[in-house]
Amino acid sequence: MKNKIEISDLQVHYRDTSALNKVSFDVHENEILGIIGPAQSGKTTLLKVINRTLEFVPEASMDGTVKLDGVDISTMGDIYGLRRRIGMVLPLPVGLPLSIYDNVAFAPRAAGLRSKSQLDELVERCLQQAALWDEVKDRLSTLGTKLSGGQQQRLTIARALSHQPEVLCLDEFSIAIDPVTTMRIEEVLKTLQKEMTILLVTNLVQQAKRLATRTAFFLNGDLIEIDSTDVIFSDTPAQQATYDYINGTFG
Amino acid sequence: MNVMTTCALRKQKLVSQIITFIFIGIVGAPISGVLQKTYAADTEAASAATPLNTLSPLLDDLYTVLSISFVAILFGIACAFYLQEWLPQTNWVRRFIESVVAILGGVPSIFYGILAIGIFFTDAGTLKTVGIVRGPQDIGDGSALGPLSFQYDTPVFYIVVLTFILMVTPMTIKTTQAALRSVATPIREATYALGASHWQVLRRQVIPIALTRILATGCRAMSSALATVALIFGIYIWQYTNGPREMSNRFILFLSGALFLSIFSSVLIKLCASASADPTHPTR
Ligand SMILES: Nc1ncnc2c1ncn2[C@@H]1O[C@H](COP(=O)(O)OP(=O)(O)O)[C@@H](O)[C@H]1O
Ligand SMILES: [Mg+2]
Repeated sequence: MKNKIEISDLQVHYRDTSALNKVSFDVHENEILGIIGPAQSGKTTLLKVINRTLEFVPEASMDGTVKLDGVDISTMGDIYGLRRRIGMVLPLPVGLPLSIYDNVAFAPRAAGLRSKSQLDELVERCLQQAALWDEVKDRLSTLGTKLSGGQQQRLTIARALSHQPEVLCLDEFSIAIDPVTTMRIEEVLKTLQKEMTILLVTNLVQQAKRLATRTAFFLNGDLIEIDSTDVIFSDTPAQQATYDYINGTFG
Repeated sequence: MNVMTTCALRKQKLVSQIITFIFIGIVGAPISGVLQKTYAADTEAASAATPLNTLSPLLDDLYTVLSISFVAILFGIACAFYLQEWLPQTNWVRRFIESVVAILGGVPSIFYGILAIGIFFTDAGTLKTVGIVRGPQDIGDGSALGPLSFQYDTPVFYIVVLTFILMVTPMTIKTTQAALRSVATPIREATYALGASHWQVLRRQVIPIALTRILATGCRAMSSALATVALIFGIYIWQYTNGPREMSNRFILFLSGALFLSIFSSVLIKLCASASADPTHPTR
């Protein structure tokens, strides 16, 4: 199986605290990699490294290599191009203060797409994939920030899909969404898996169990274990800590 | 290594603060000199009555003050953008300018007013030779006295301009930076994550969001410039003319301008506070 992302000896420090310690693993193409672990274990940091937004955190320093399709991302000249290849959904919905339509059309426009008909089509497709189209199709020109929390989160997902990324990173996307909508989006993710590689950071272990091909367990910046989801969620994962965390008997 | 960096940062901060104080000293010395001269100023020559003002020179002055402060404000906004959006927080130029601005911006504008008054009304002799004002002394016979107004192309005029810049620019830099900072980091990060360039983030997100506050900032700075000039005229009336009538047109014009602008800027701030009803707490 082809490796989409290869991470080796990745280390991240925020001034004095270390967020990731010598983490190495690969992400296969077209898989859903579930990433689980308690808060503060470095999951968000990992995603920030992958789309190089960690560079905006002045106190952060990084070591090690991350390769996308075999190319070291730190040597890529076109950092905006890199970010367009990666879709990012943050834990709290961030509706850009633009209309719903413009929220989704932002990235394609920034990349140079001008044709109105193509944009319309793209916006509709992304909103449909994010299970939001039916609720907003009559008011695409209202402000994205006027939507409810759950709707805004789906808007964020639509936005992340709008630049047709190769890798989709979701960081605890279901925090602000009700269970029914979460289920609908999970269905969407399963179909998206055919087109892209998905990194699913989640604080709901059952979500990883439902969706992920493989699952990685992080704890305090260490990668404790990565294996196929069946093994991780079986009664005998390689590490006792993994078992304890999944079964809620942690610590 | 981390401990080292913190140490170095602290040292850098200390150095920039020391430099700031020296800078303040350099600026402060002439100010105190001027103030002393003001105290000893000869008021005799100026005590002749000035005639009522006509509208045209009055607007002339308003125009001068507005354009000077406009330039100073634009300069301040440009500085703030450069500091906040291009220089990293650890850059020593940024730290230095921010320290200067923090100190200058904290000085009440009345001090700048006093500085300007000192320059305006140093003493009758100086006034005449440098020609900062076309005052009573300029005309011999007293029947056709010209109104007091700014005179360009004199060194003192430039000092006055400098005073304005010293007053208005730090104020603008400080508040514009605050406006830029108020654009929430998640919005920036989300926009960057979409592959937007720095310039696109600024133009499409940061500037539209911060614009109202920046405008309000400019209005407020301009208002304090007008108020300071009104103060200068007020003191002129009080000190150098016989009755309160002579200069009062101008005084009232500037004061009401200042009042209008400051109310206007408060309204702007109020407006933008209600318009951007925070995106972190969705309404429905
Ligand atoms: N901007 C930051 N500045 C300093 N420390 C940070 C910053 N962001 C994260 N950290 C630290 O890095 C560690 C990992 O955080 P994070 O990646 O957010 O974990 P998670 O997403 O798993 O909760 C934590 O100890 C956290 O305190
Ligand atoms: Mg997190």
